[in-house]
Amino acid sequence: MIDTKQTIAQLKGNIVSDMGGEKVMLCIKNGKYYNLGAIGGHIWELMSEPTTIEQLVSDLMSVYAVERSDCEEQVASFLKHLMNEGLIEAC
Amino acid sequence: MKREWQKPELEVLEVN
Repeated sequence: MIDTKQTIAQLKGNIVSDMGGEKVMLCIKNGKYYNLGAIGGHIWELMSEPTTIEQLVSDLMSVYAVERSDCEEQVASFLKHLMNEGLIEAC
Repeated sequence: MKREWQKPELEVLEVN
């Protein structure tokens, strides 16, 4: 069950760069490089201020052709991965 | 016209 009301935010201490339309990031804390891809990069930008999954999904659905259920599920999975890597936090 | 959606993936490029 996805809690779409959950507030999430970027953790500071990452160097982010655009590379060929995709967002690439170096996490200073763990020394790892990440490729967020184009849509992952868009999601990252939307989290520059604390936001909810619900808000993220609404913003993404206004730009991309995707069903809400698919968007929610895939965004939640992506955010879980970001959280496991220590790149975002739940507020 | 909305853009094409692709599943967002986090790819770990390298471990330093």
